[in-house]
Amino acid sequence: MFNLQLLAPEIVLSVLALALMAIDLILPTRRSQLPYHLGWISALVALACVVATLATSSQGAGPLWIVDPFSQLFKAMTLLAVIVTFLLCLEYEDLSLSQSGTFAALLLLSAVGLMLLVSATDLLFLFVSLELVAVSSFILAGFERRNRKSNEGAIKYFLFGAFSSAIFVYGLSLYYGAAGTTKLLILSQNGSSLSLWTPVLTGLGRQGPVLLLAMLFLLLGFGFKAAMVPMHFWVPDVYEGAPMPVTTFLSVAPKIAIMGVLLRVFTLLVPASGLGLTGLLALLAILTMTVGNTIAIFQDNVKRLLAYSSIAQAGYILIGIVTANSLGLEGVLLYSAVYIAMNVGAFTVLQAVGKNGSYELSAFDGLSRRSMALALTMAVFLLSLAGIPPLAGFIGKFYLFAAAMEAGRAAASSSSKNIFYALAVVGVINSVISVYYYMKIVYHMFFLPPHERSSAPAIGPYLLAVLAVCLAGVLAFGVWPEPLIAQMRISAVHLP
Amino acid sequence: MTLTHHLLLGAALFLIGVFGALTRRNIIGILMSIELMFNAANINLAAFNHFLHPEGVLGMTTALFIITVAAAEVVVGLALVLAIYRNCESVYAEDFNLLKG
Repeated sequence: MFNLQLLAPEIVLSVLALALMAIDLILPTRRSQLPYHLGWISALVALACVVATLATSSQGAGPLWIVDPFSQLFKAMTLLAVIVTFLLCLEYEDLSLSQSGTFAALLLLSAVGLMLLVSATDLLFLFVSLELVAVSSFILAGFERRNRKSNEGAIKYFLFGAFSSAIFVYGLSLYYGAAGTTKLLILSQNGSSLSLWTPVLTGLGRQGPVLLLAMLFLLLGFGFKAAMVPMHFWVPDVYEGAPMPVTTFLSVAPKIAIMGVLLRVFTLLVPASGLGLTGLLALLAILTMTVGNTIAIFQDNVKRLLAYSSIAQAGYILIGIVTANSLGLEGVLLYSAVYIAMNVGAFTVLQAVGKNGSYELSAFDGLSRRSMALALTMAVFLLSLAGIPPLAGFIGKFYLFAAAMEAGRAAASSSSKNIFYALAVVGVINSVISVYYYMKIVYHMFFLPPHERSSAPAIGPYLLAVLAVCLAGVLAFGVWPEPLIAQMRISAVHLP
Repeated sequence: MTLTHHLLLGAALFLIGVFGALTRRNIIGILMSIELMFNAANINLAAFNHFLHPEGVLGMTTALFIITVAAAEVVVGLALVLAIYRNCESVYAEDFNLLKG
């Protein structure tokens, strides 16, 4: 019952990442973009491995991991984000090409960590994968070594990341004390059937308080990584300092994978409702949405503005985790998929516009006169992020708010009813607030004159491809969401 | 020496670490405080293993994993500190103020 073959995509990708490092050493011409091309090809190979296991019966559980449609969907989304990041790197000039092999290998290793993360059912395994992601992304964020902003962002990322890891580990030690194991799920002795680790499920027995404390510390640790308020301070600084493709990666892949882990841990393995943590999670969701949206209003740098916007977006996704019903589960998956398309799209346009070195709002002045197509594309992504129908963001938000209303209707006591209804109401109000700052960018693009001597942003084939795919996704799934919803319904199947 | 003593030692170390990480101005100092927090968890794990779950060595091995991973993390952290020291000639947190808004 070891089932190592379940992790084939991760193993393939790790081998390819290490091979990439070796190839980089013997490459005849340094300073080439070849590693980036090898990088996205490797990610594509791993994606093929994931897709191959998406529908078949080659799923199950190993001692520390579990592979089900749910985890495979998150792995596929992570790999898509990695492929996009490599494509963006191909047209980003500030990264030193002499280190491109290292960069590609680190990005792939961080993807491996994210993929293991959504499959983990053991806290130690979870911790090691979390650190694999963290350590590689610290280096990626500080990759422009001569750029002070990049240094500063990386050091802040590192300090907050290490601090949160330490909190996570302390929670892990308490969990071990309460449960006598680091597993969240055990395989029963007689073969393949799965059962929840009973001391955890029956929860608050003699060891209840310690277990509760452990889960709180773990939630705090995850909260840092997923940038929940009040653990969000590092996000804008890191996003502003990191190289643009890395910012795109950080705003999408780790965020979504952590949401997947939160969903698995706090709704399936150790239900938050059983620990009485639903109210706390709801409070975190409300704070995350509100603080993210409110501070975003005052930003003049578009990188920071989108950073706060991504904090708020995580708040919306949290609604689905709080509700813990099947609608919420599907909502999280649906919104994650849509979020990748619209957020990557917005960051890609930002990269194209910011090529002249400025990511300030004024860089967008008069974009419609310089390049109408680019301005319209950006407007579509921003409207989708704000949740305006008929774009894909609306469908995702609708699902999440509907899940909150449904949970409120089904709740037993009137106080928990109020929690869920409040979530939906705050979510809707926040969507309205967010329209203001998204429209601020649109205002700069369409209603302000362009600066003198500013030309149309140059867009190469790779950026164009990324933009086309994201735009097609946002438009198509907004108008005709049925195929996506059907896929999410299939992927919402989870073990046990 | 009972389990309680060990847990109190762990909790004290953890709190000292949190306090240091939040109040130190020197980045190396913050790093050391974070190491204290990791070691608090290690003491907990070893103590729980010895007193509550003596049938296996899971707690000890987990502590070993944590020591290794924390070392890897610190290596990256010190490299970043070196990189920023080359650019700004400072290791004090308040000197890193390019990013704000």
